[in-house]
Amino acid sequence: MLQVLIYLLFFVIGSILGLVLSYKKYGEPFIYNNIDIVALILSIIGWISFINFYNYFIGVALGLFLIAFVMSMRPGYGRKETLIGLIISVVIYLIRYLLVG
Amino acid sequence: MNLMANILINVITSFLGGSLLLGLHRKIMARIQLRPGPPIIQYLLHSLKFFFKETSLPKTASPVFYISIVCILAGIWTTGVIVGPVTQGSLLIMFGIYAVYKIVEHNMGSSSGSPYGKLSCVRAVFSAASEIPLFAVVALIFFQTGTLSIAGIIHYQSVNGPLIFTIPLAGVMFFILLLTKSPYSPFAITKGKELISGYETEHFGFLRGFLMFSESIAWFIMSWLFLTLFFGPLSVVYYVIGMIAITVVTAFINATSPLLNPNHSVMLQITIAFVCIVGTIIMMVV
Repeated sequence: MLQVLIYLLFFVIGSILGLVLSYKKYGEPFIYNNIDIVALILSIIGWISFINFYNYFIGVALGLFLIAFVMSMRPGYGRKETLIGLIISVVIYLIRYLLVG
Repeated sequence: MNLMANILINVITSFLGGSLLLGLHRKIMARIQLRPGPPIIQYLLHSLKFFFKETSLPKTASPVFYISIVCILAGIWTTGVIVGPVTQGSLLIMFGIYAVYKIVEHNMGSSSGSPYGKLSCVRAVFSAASEIPLFAVVALIFFQTGTLSIAGIIHYQSVNGPLIFTIPLAGVMFFILLLTKSPYSPFAITKGKELISGYETEHFGFLRGFLMFSESIAWFIMSWLFLTLFFGPLSVVYYVIGMIAITVVTAFINATSPLLNPNHSVMLQITIAFVCIVGTIIMMVV
């Protein structure tokens, strides 16, 4: 249970940081459909770390932190980045475990 | 691990997990209603915020009653964590916790002296009908497994398979109970919007913080209990998936259904309970 609590804390801290920093970066509500490259990179690293390294404590913890960071950005921002990161990491997972073996 | 440390870790985990689930619930409801909705972390931030807000007592409130009822609410759900995930104790104590929770809802409404609270207090007595399905679930599980210990029920399921396959209608009844407890539920007559926030309307500052703390733990524990009682021994990953699934399904139902009239709410719950009890008994006999 202690491990679950640590994972939750990583998720919560990532969420709070993502929320605070995104409000500083974006002064206006979500209007444009641009993709934030930094958020996209963080999302891809986060999802790959979470899905492909789920056996390692640091992999899950880092993954949850980065996923929460992007997912909890100001409403509207970070949605596409999260989805792209998830798709890429699932594709990598499938290639690693189903095709390569 | 030391028992006290274990309890502390489980209480904090339940609070954080429950808060995130309720935040997800709110987010999903907002997306269904075509709003962006707040971030998932918002419910947790809200809860923490109230601990630092000024606390004031209404002139009409009975101070001792007004404060102690919140302490009792936090106390019973902390007991729920101890009886549930920590010790896997008796299901009867969990039933007792839910019964006391209904009494707390009732007394919290009357403690402030607010008309909204009082009406909510009356409705809390009315909505005690939701305890009938819970009691029926406890009885049916006992008839099926021969034990009321949560650890014993988990062991039974590890040998005979999940109870959801043998007494599915009891699972439906428990799910209705979960739905009743979820925010903006069609059965949530004690917190109907015409009563502002019902029995919570007049609780401010750190008292409101403790209220939200208790609600987060309550949601976590009720979901945990549902998954444990009907889906057998589960790993942490399946608990997380199950809790998210329960939250998503209840959010869909709550976002698309209106709040029922108190009479209809109680009658619907009793009707569902009756059908499920009779159905389960027939299934067990056949």
